[in-house]
This record gives sequence, structure tokens and C-alpha cells, in this order.
Amino acid sequence: MSDRLERSVIAPANPKLNVSRNANLPHSPGIRAGDYIFLSGMGPVDPVTGGRDLGPVAEQIRQTLRNMAHMLESAGSGLDRVVKVMIVLADSADYDEMNQVWREFFPVDPPARTCCALQLSNGNGVEIECIALAGKAA
Amino acid sequence: MALEREIIASNHPVLPVSLAVRGGDFVFLSGMTAVDPVAGSVAHGTVAAETRHILTEMARLLEAAGSSLARVVKVNVLIYSMLEYDNMNTVYREFFTVDPPARTVCGAKLIGGHKIEIDCIALR
Amino acid sequence: MREVVPVPVPGLDLRQHYGHHQSIAIRAGGLIFCSGMVAINPHTGEREHGTVTSEARRIFENLKLLLESAGSSLDRLVQVHAMIYDRIEYDVLNRLYRQYVPNAPPARTVMSVQIEAGFKVMLDVIAAA
Repeated sequence: MSDRLERSVIAPANPKLNVSRNANLPHSPGIRAGDYIFLSGMGPVDPVTGGRDLGPVAEQIRQTLRNMAHMLESAGSGLDRVVKVMIVLADSADYDEMNQVWREFFPVDPPARTCCALQLSNGNGVEIECIALAGKAA
Repeated sequence: MALEREIIASNHPVLPVSLAVRGGDFVFLSGMTAVDPVAGSVAHGTVAAETRHILTEMARLLEAAGSSLARVVKVNVLIYSMLEYDNMNTVYREFFTVDPPARTVCGAKLIGGHKIEIDCIALR
Repeated sequence: MREVVPVPVPGLDLRQHYGHHQSIAIRAGGLIFCSGMVAINPHTGEREHGTVTSEARRIFENLKLLLESAGSSLDRLVQVHAMIYDRIEYDVLNRLYRQYVPNAPPARTVMSVQIEAGFKVMLDVIAAA
């Protein structure tokens, strides 16, 4: 029988991006289990103020993906180690624009992805979660 | 030594995503809809027909990656209406015969007017 | 290696009771992938529709049963998709939810979706074995 995977909490180096703690919500920003990383759904939080950046959806998506990159880098990983993403849009009409922004962040060898349009909170236009591999590519 | 990440199948017919990515022991598939894998044209139909189209393509994709439907551990199904659950389930059981994977099914509005979207995680 | 986790109590056998073509959970690669869990009585298999609070409580109790039978536990949850019928009850869900994962809770995304049989809550989870 193989060893149990070790489980630990991932937190962003920038405390403004720790929505779990700042908003007192019952989730961790991310969990590492063995060499797999599972991130909570993230929104367009401003890394300076910690508030929500609710402008045009393209910029919301950019901010969210920048925050995701920061979260992964805080855990010794990175966007290039992401294997699967789930994107939730508040409005399916934003899909094409989302794809354009996505290409900026995943220009080569993008992860697998599922996208759907659901109700979101706080006026957010997007929420993004992912599964990634720990560490850096060899 | 860090786990290896490998693109198993790239070139989604229309989207800037990888169809399948291997990470460590698992293969992660993008959400699949009834899209012609070569032409990229949408193949709208009944829930049953779309389910069959998707799972046929999923089987092909996994096999090309050295895996198979029998090695799928988890399936997520998004369906445009939960009223059509049985129509999906009836076709689904043809593809996952013995020891089916864990599965979550929920109703959501899908992008592009599709009736159903399915993703999965499989063992490599 | 891919292993089917056995149904720990007969009421949770949704495949048998409701024809859901799925295993309750699969263990592979050190993780346990669970089928979406709803408020089912673990002994009788009856659906227990209720409030977000009562349904979520039943779901967590069922998950506790399931995971412990597989050598895991709620505190080894790594990812949760918390499905809710309407995001307006987000705070109600949180109040119950935090009771079951008080320390180092799993990663979570809340999704407002249509759930089977008119349930208000479903939890779709992955745990470390």
C-alpha cells in the first residue's frame, strides 16, 4: 500500500489575496496533496487593496489569472504547471472575450478546461479554479 | 523530482485548450461537447445523441493517450436541464459498463447552445 | 491502481436505489474521487429534502461515513464543488459548512446549478486517501 499523500494548506505570499482569511470563508486558498495542487475558485481581487476590481470582464479575467499565477508561485508552482481549469462566467456572452484573455496567459500547451455560465456573487464577472502540479518542470 | 506534465492531445478543433493533459498519475480532459473533432462544426442533437457523440470521442481520446474509459475515475456532466437526466444516463451506461467512475451531474446553462458537456479525470 | 470504494451503508447505494450509473467513490493515485453527494438517508436510501442547512448536514454526515470507511476523513478533503440551487443561500450554506471543516478547510468553488430531484445542495468532493 502506497504512503498517504501529505496534505497542506497553500496561502498566497501577498496577504491581500487571501480571500479565505480576509472574508472569513470556510475554505483555504489552496490545498496541496502530494504533488497535486487544488486551488479554490478565485475572482478579480485587487492585489493592492484586497477589494474587488469590477471593471470590464476582460480585465477581471486578467486580474484573476494574475492572482492565480501568484497563488501558484507562492506554492512553488506556476501557471505552466496547471493541468485543469474550471472557469465560471456570470454571462455566457463574455465567452469569446474570455478566450482572448486566456490565450494571453496560456499561449503554449494550455491546460484542459471546462467553462460554464452560472450565478456569481458580489457582481463578479468570473470565477476560476484549477488543479496544478507542484514544483517546476524539470 | 516534480511530477511530469504532458499535453496528450492538443489541437482542440475550435478552442485554445488542450483536449487532454497528463499530470502525474492522471489524465485531465477538457469539457467535451458534441463537436466534430476534425471540422470543428457543432453537432447539435438530442441529449442521447450528443451524449453518444461525446463519449465515443472521449473513448477515442483516452485510448490515444494510453488510457481508456475503464480507467476513468471521475466524470462531471453538465446538462442543460435535469429533466433530461435519464436520456443521458441510458446512453452513458453503454460506455461505462463495469465499475463505473464516480460522477457528478448538474443542470446548468451551457455555452454555445449545447445540451450537454462532459469532462473527466482518468488514470494514465 | 483504480479501486471502487464499496458503499459503506446500503442507503447510499444510489446506483441500486435510483439507477445512477456511478460508483459512490473511486480511489486512485492516493486520492478519492466521490460522486456528488446529496441528502439521502444512509440507512433507508430515502431522499431527505429540507433546508440548505438540513441537507448540507446530512451530506457531510454521509461523506464522513464514506470517507472514514475508505480510511480517509473530512479533514483530508482537498477540493469541494459546493453546488447550491440558488446563490442567495450562500451564507446559510457557509454557516453549516464551517462546522464540518473547521480547520484547514479544503479548496472550494461554489456553483449555483440545478441539482437532481430538486435538492438544494450537493457536494462534489475529492479527498486525499
